[in-house]
Amino acid sequence: MLNKNSEALGIIFPNSYDTLMPELANERLMASIPFASRYRMIDFVLSSMVNSGIDNVSLIVRKNYLSLLDHLGSGREWDLTRKNGGLNIVPPFSQKTSKMYGGRVDALIGIVNFLKRQKEEYVVMSDANLAVNFDFRALIADHIASGADVTVAYRKAGLPVTDADAFSSEEELYYTLKIEDGRVKKIKINEAGEGLYNVSMNMYVLRREYLIELIAEAYVKGNFYFERDILLPQVDKINIHAFEFTGYVVGFHDLSSYFKESMRLLEGDHLNALFGGAPIYTKIRDDNPTRYKDGAKVKNIMAADGCIIEGEAENCILFRGVKIGKGAKVKNCILMQDTVVEDGVSIEYAVSDKNVTITENTSLKGTDSFPIYIGKGQVV
Amino acid sequence: MAKEMIAMLLAGGQGSRLYALTEKLAKPAVPFGGKYRIIDFPLSNCVNSGIDTVGILTQYQPLVLNEYIGNGQPWDLDRLYGGVHVLPPYQKATGSDWYKGTANAIYQNLSFIERYDPEYVIILSGDQICKQDYSDFLRFHKEKNAEFSVAVMEVPWEEASRFGLMVTDDTDRITEFQEKPKNPKSNLASMGIYIFNWEILKQYLIEDEADPNSENDFGNNIIPNLLRDNRRMYAYRFEGYWKDVGTISSLWEANMEVLDPEHSGIDLFDENWKIYSRNSGMTGHRIVGDAVVENSLITDGCYIEGNVKHSVLFAGVKVEPGAIVEDAVIMGGTVIHKGAVVKHCIVAENVEIGENAVVGAMPSGEEKGVATIGSDVKVGANAKVGPNAMVRTDVKEGEEQC
Repeated sequence: MLNKNSEALGIIFPNSYDTLMPELANERLMASIPFASRYRMIDFVLSSMVNSGIDNVSLIVRKNYLSLLDHLGSGREWDLTRKNGGLNIVPPFSQKTSKMYGGRVDALIGIVNFLKRQKEEYVVMSDANLAVNFDFRALIADHIASGADVTVAYRKAGLPVTDADAFSSEEELYYTLKIEDGRVKKIKINEAGEGLYNVSMNMYVLRREYLIELIAEAYVKGNFYFERDILLPQVDKINIHAFEFTGYVVGFHDLSSYFKESMRLLEGDHLNALFGGAPIYTKIRDDNPTRYKDGAKVKNIMAADGCIIEGEAENCILFRGVKIGKGAKVKNCILMQDTVVEDGVSIEYAVSDKNVTITENTSLKGTDSFPIYIGKGQVV
Repeated sequence: MAKEMIAMLLAGGQGSRLYALTEKLAKPAVPFGGKYRIIDFPLSNCVNSGIDTVGILTQYQPLVLNEYIGNGQPWDLDRLYGGVHVLPPYQKATGSDWYKGTANAIYQNLSFIERYDPEYVIILSGDQICKQDYSDFLRFHKEKNAEFSVAVMEVPWEEASRFGLMVTDDTDRITEFQEKPKNPKSNLASMGIYIFNWEILKQYLIEDEADPNSENDFGNNIIPNLLRDNRRMYAYRFEGYWKDVGTISSLWEANMEVLDPEHSGIDLFDENWKIYSRNSGMTGHRIVGDAVVENSLITDGCYIEGNVKHSVLFAGVKVEPGAIVEDAVIMGGTVIHKGAVVKHCIVAENVEIGENAVVGAMPSGEEKGVATIGSDVKVGANAKVGPNAMVRTDVKEGEEQC
């Protein structure tokens, strides 16, 4: 077909790693966590797929997905309102049994008939927990050139230094890879230690029919997890090719790392490193430009449209519609959509969720490693 | 199914008094207020007033406008039945013609209106900044049992002779129309926004077209003819912000008024009457290093390292360290390099202003010129552009233009 850039369809698992973020993913899922002043995490992987010519994308949601549905709508902003393909959101009740799925195998079995009917030769799978400008076209091309059965994207990174329990739940595992000559020789679960590892980005490409084969077999055996139960035990049998991603990656595993990753965007050329490539699309809100009134004093901030700033802000990320009142001092903060900081407030090291109001003359102070979190809609 | 009222938006004007700004695009497509174009105002008014069918009459340099309107989705005007339609002049079995005047433009599209069989047609103009509820205007039109109504603004008596004036009796019925008279009998200026009963509009357009001496203009021909026949014509008083941005100085002034909604009355922050626009899709703006931003509007994608004071910056504008921007309107994608001084001016899209260049100047005495730089122009390092300059082509390094 002319202009058919990609021979792949996309599958995204928006709930992966939800439990790592009890604050931000309490009423939402990983994919709809707000990031970088006007985006949500899903925007990155979804835009990356669209920019790579993938126009048939399924999101298999598990729970708390209302905010995601609201954000994505018909998929128009990502150019995914298509007659053929487009955006396809699969809720849990579309499965034979109405229970929520556990692992990826479980999730994929629910759409196996859909997968059988599609025409694309390849399937690209990803979570929505990383903010990246990812070229899936390069991944697919590398996969085809390698002749491998499966290709996994990884990055060289340190391991999440955190409460080990966070990753102990069966669903939220991380994987490190031992690679020889581009082939994955060993997959380790929740490895610990200092230094750089080959950390899996949980992004895969493989032939659609091969995927159907793998999940059908696993399901019959009662296996739920794609990595743990399919790839890991058969690493000698299945030719898994490794694709290194060297671009800018944002990943977080708790509130403190969310805070650090957000603030990292304010340093040097990081913003450009993440956004400088292909465009990242998001929901349009039709805000007016941000207004700096008399008395506003800002230093090193990133702000979306729709803010009204009368006070002081330093080292902050301000989402759409944030208001900072007269004489207020906001330092090292992330203020999400429509947060109102009233006159005279002093606040440092805080993350405020949507629609928070911080009333007049309040003083709040967190620390670098333990930022204060103010839940959605709260009045402080 | 018939529509109650559809809108016809006159967007064919060249806007020749905007010079360099309208060289490549029609006046309604001129950027305004940080992220809008002029046409966003009438289109958003339509959709906020419940009008879902809009015909846009284009003629002059329509490419930017066509692409901008697209399928009308940003204004929620992508509809199954109705929605927004761009209407350029077209060839018919009996020949083809450019739009000869405002009335002729509508006349040539009678069959478009016919498709929706409306009771009323509102005629809008694509070169005004105004937030107006057209449903309130229609309510007035119905209450008066009018056949034709025109929206009017009260203007100061000393300025009245610059406008087309409606002389009314105490029921707001129009008794006389004066076009830019020496001795005004009224201070009710026409805003160029009309509601017609569709049958009346059709009848008078057909009659006007048959008259070889007509200029085919609403103000000069249709309104006098309606008066001649003693039609039920009423003047609807609009109280609110209204500005014809047909000149460089009025366009600049309107942009500055956006910075002061408390006094000027043009509030773009009103949640109940949003102005919609096509989005740039850029990231949030950054204010970095020793940048100072005071009393300004900054849009997504801007990267500010210099000083910005009392200015409107559109999406993706870059201001490098040491550059000074004051009382300026800087349109999308423009880059202001280190040490440049940009004051009291309008700089169009994708302009590059070289290091230490000087553009415009704050008014002093009689000198109140608004320097204007057209889109895609490069102003070289150390160049100087005077306050009355109208720059359409590149300015070389060190060169001076007045």
